[in-house]
Amino acid sequence: MSQALREFLMKKARLEKVFKWGVRWSLWPVHLVTSCCGVEVAHTSAPGFDAERWGVLPFHTMRQSNVIIVEGTITRKMARVLRQVYEQMPEPKYVLAMGACAVRGGLFWNSYHVVQVDTVVPVDVYISGCPPTPEAVIRAFIMLHNKIKGKPGPYVEPVKVDLAPYLPPPPKPPAKPAPQPQQQQQQQAQAAA
Amino acid sequence: MSARAPPKCPPPGDHALLPRVKEALGPSLLSRGVTPEGHLCVVVPPDKIREVAQAVKNMGFDHVLSLSAVDYIAEKKFLLVYVFASYLSPELKNQLLHVRAEIPRDSPRIASIADIYPSADYEERECHEMFGIWFEGNPHMGKRFLLDPDCCIDEKTGKPLYPLRKDFKVPDWGLMG
Ligand code: SF4
Repeated sequence: MSQALREFLMKKARLEKVFKWGVRWSLWPVHLVTSCCGVEVAHTSAPGFDAERWGVLPFHTMRQSNVIIVEGTITRKMARVLRQVYEQMPEPKYVLAMGACAVRGGLFWNSYHVVQVDTVVPVDVYISGCPPTPEAVIRAFIMLHNKIKGKPGPYVEPVKVDLAPYLPPPPKPPAKPAPQPQQQQQQQAQAAA
Repeated sequence: MSARAPPKCPPPGDHALLPRVKEALGPSLLSRGVTPEGHLCVVVPPDKIREVAQAVKNMGFDHVLSLSAVDYIAEKKFLLVYVFASYLSPELKNQLLHVRAEIPRDSPRIASIADIYPSADYEERECHEMFGIWFEGNPHMGKRFLLDPDCCIDEKTGKPLYPLRKDFKVPDWGLMG
């Protein structure tokens, strides 16, 4: 598609909204399973959590997908692969860094052979946890939805719960024994001396 | 510099395999012990490692389970630990034989046993890459195996650094990376 036609369609014909709607509901991730976080992504797409309800369809080639989930530790050798995979994907493309390892090295922080993902590719959403639960992965996809809509930020606000009625009352500090008259006299004598 | 000697072997004990190992190794057996898991551990001179490997192979141990090194930086020594195991021999199938050898840290060279035990090839290549120990006779010495070609290189001299040595400095990422 030529640039002029693209601009005409997006701006004049107001297809931008339709375009974004289409991208939002077809986030097809390519798995870059480098370590144990990949197991949780398997759960995310399995019937229990069924991330396909949000248009997340695990796909097998990077040429036809638009999200990378970086699942796990990225070593220096794997960083080359990550960059190649990223460059092969068509625009628009997004990167999710999943797990403590992908965010800041995790267990392998400060290692001789581990890199941080955001020095290799631009990361859109970080998912914390070791490993993150499938709910956290789905939440990251919904954050990505909001980012495409133009409203980035966390999707879930923490709800404050008052646990006081359900917890036992805090223990009272032990009462101090009243000072004995003898001790008082001794203290006074010491103070006088 | 600490005066602590490297732990050559666990404390000695009785072991069913001991008479056969004594007979097979002969004078190359310097000392012996039994690990807490109940495996026999022997110390051999490093220049006899090929004879020892051949003798151990004749006993029925058919593969090298692991080969690793310990860096005793204060004593200027590397302790090499070969672990032999067997798949085929019924009486050896739940036995491991630890063979240890000490080599000096400033010229870490030892003969390769990769032609006697093909399974030692990858272990030797990894040990060379991580500790800089030169296994004479292995054709892959001096090449990168698991590490990235650009990583762990001294910036000034261009020589490789060995990341599992105790004097290797890991890059400091700072508190927040
Ligand atoms: S973050 Fe935890 S679960 Fe995920 S790859 Fe790292 S170690 Fe494994």
